[in-house]
Amino acid sequence: MQGASTPFQAPPKGPPSHVKSPNVHLAEVWGDVVDRRHLAAAVVIGAVVSLGTFLIAARIFAATVAVPDVGRAYAMLVGLLGCVLSGVICAKLFPPKREVVESASDPAWRLAAMQQLAGETGTIGRIEDLPPQVIAEMKELGLYELFASYDAEQNRPQATVTGA
Amino acid sequence: MDGLLFDILVAVGMGFAGAIAFSLIGLISGTDETTTIAPVTLLVVLLGVPPVGVFTFWLAAAVAKHMTHAVPTALLGIPGDTMAVPLLQQATALRNLGVPHIALRKMISGGLIAAVIAVPLSVAFALLLAPFGQMITVAAPWLFLGAALLIAYFSAGKWASVFTLLPFVLLVVALQTITAKYGVKLGVSYFLGIAIGPLVADLFSSLSPMERARMHRDGPRRFTLAPDMKSWGGFFPNPFKVLDRTQVLWTTGAAAITSATFVFSPVAMTVIMGEVVGARIKHAYHRLTTVISVRNGVTESTYIAEALIPLIAFGLPLSPVAAGPAAPLFNAPPRFMVDGPGGQIVNLHTLMTPMQFLGYGLLAVFIAALIAYPFAMNYARVAAAFVSRRISHEAIIATFVGLVMVIGTWEGQALGLMVIVTMGLVGGLLYRILGFNTGVQFMGYYTAVLTVPALTKLFIG
Repeated sequence: MQGASTPFQAPPKGPPSHVKSPNVHLAEVWGDVVDRRHLAAAVVIGAVVSLGTFLIAARIFAATVAVPDVGRAYAMLVGLLGCVLSGVICAKLFPPKREVVESASDPAWRLAAMQQLAGETGTIGRIEDLPPQVIAEMKELGLYELFASYDAEQNRPQATVTGA
Repeated sequence: MDGLLFDILVAVGMGFAGAIAFSLIGLISGTDETTTIAPVTLLVVLLGVPPVGVFTFWLAAAVAKHMTHAVPTALLGIPGDTMAVPLLQQATALRNLGVPHIALRKMISGGLIAAVIAVPLSVAFALLLAPFGQMITVAAPWLFLGAALLIAYFSAGKWASVFTLLPFVLLVVALQTITAKYGVKLGVSYFLGIAIGPLVADLFSSLSPMERARMHRDGPRRFTLAPDMKSWGGFFPNPFKVLDRTQVLWTTGAAAITSATFVFSPVAMTVIMGEVVGARIKHAYHRLTTVISVRNGVTESTYIAEALIPLIAFGLPLSPVAAGPAAPLFNAPPRFMVDGPGGQIVNLHTLMTPMQFLGYGLLAVFIAALIAYPFAMNYARVAAAFVSRRISHEAIIATFVGLVMVIGTWEGQALGLMVIVTMGLVGGLLYRILGFNTGVQFMGYYTAVLTVPALTKLFIG
């Protein structure tokens, strides 16, 4: 799927050869990054564990449940548990290939976001137009000052243009 | 009375099961509704759960997933599923402003309000359309052909999708003929194959040296996890306080209007309603928060309407959602059928009354709200961190590979498995290369099952 990345997520093109070795097997499959070797093992584990569980369950239920269709449905339910089990096994064996960075907001992004917002309609709008509930919400978030000062800065030279 | 009490107990139980399971699945980004909700609902149908239980399960699952898909969308900046894609722009802007938790809260509050509105309105619209049900049923083979062409044209592939319908339908007919030779009639396998197509295509591609370069990545995927702040006491925040008056009004209005539009793609409706509302709000911050509330509300209301209206009024899957994630409510052979003996319909349409749809629909929304809403509000950040740090994508793929093996073997032994892989590979590649998406493929399947027999009858007699 495309469109899944935001501007600042580009993978670091960075440090050369010495970190390259663990990364040569990385690939994007079904919307996220996997290690090709881990993926191959995961597919085998998923297939064997789930199908194995299902086939064993089918044997058992065929012998114990009188109506064959019901027995097969129970076997499928157990097979589904087998799927979940294979997922748990793979989650334990293979770590995610994701780098999660915890971050508070970055002033540079804030500014970029403001500029982008202003770019969409030519103005970010006037703070006086807002209902009091929204102003209170913005104050609580610490965004009121940001918008008010940006507004003041942008509108001073061209205050007459924002009529519409 | 005992029968009613039993029904309610079953529905409540199934509703909780659906809401809990899909609140968790919603957290995993990239899990498409069709690939997850459809096969699991199918399983619920085939296990013989009573009709009201099946319905409550499906709706509670869909509503819950729509609430928790807001978590990766808002906090990680990646769409929770295809329905969340139109929300990404606003979510990203709010995240960059340093207030992703606001995006999250506005989204799920909008979704909750819209869901509550959409259920009764969809039932009402369905009742208005129901008198035409007989006509529709008789004309069904031709309607499906028309709907398939229309949905194909409005998919990303445009004319390519329209023309691809012919070979695709032919493939389904050919596979059916082959399996019939061995006395095997498959239904579920086609569905699962189509639904899981993008994964199958990617797994094959990753083996091909030609595709390897395209799929290669230089490093792990990087996510920036934004901090969260809690600004209310207690466990269940009031959605009417999270949204301001303007937002409540727009969300309600947009939800009411879109509850009547059941033939268009929910993603398209979401985009359009967002534009309509956005154009009317001058201040940038207020526009962001209002558009995101309205859009998530619309994803919920169109989704519910698209499933409920065709289900209640006609019993035929005549919308993208009905043909996709809600498909097992219409067609889950051998239990539910749109092409039973003599063109007979046997599914929730014939097994439940409109009042039951209303009652159990509201029950499902209530249960989903009870589970997913406080969960997403209170534990969003912890949950997003856990999923992205502990659940590898390999594990998710392993689970789905297992699902294919079990369902395929269950329905048709080796033949079932081969049909899933064939449909998945062809469908998945057509989706990626031509934009012949999953919804169009489902319509293609129905065309093969319903229109092709009618056509042969017409020409051969």
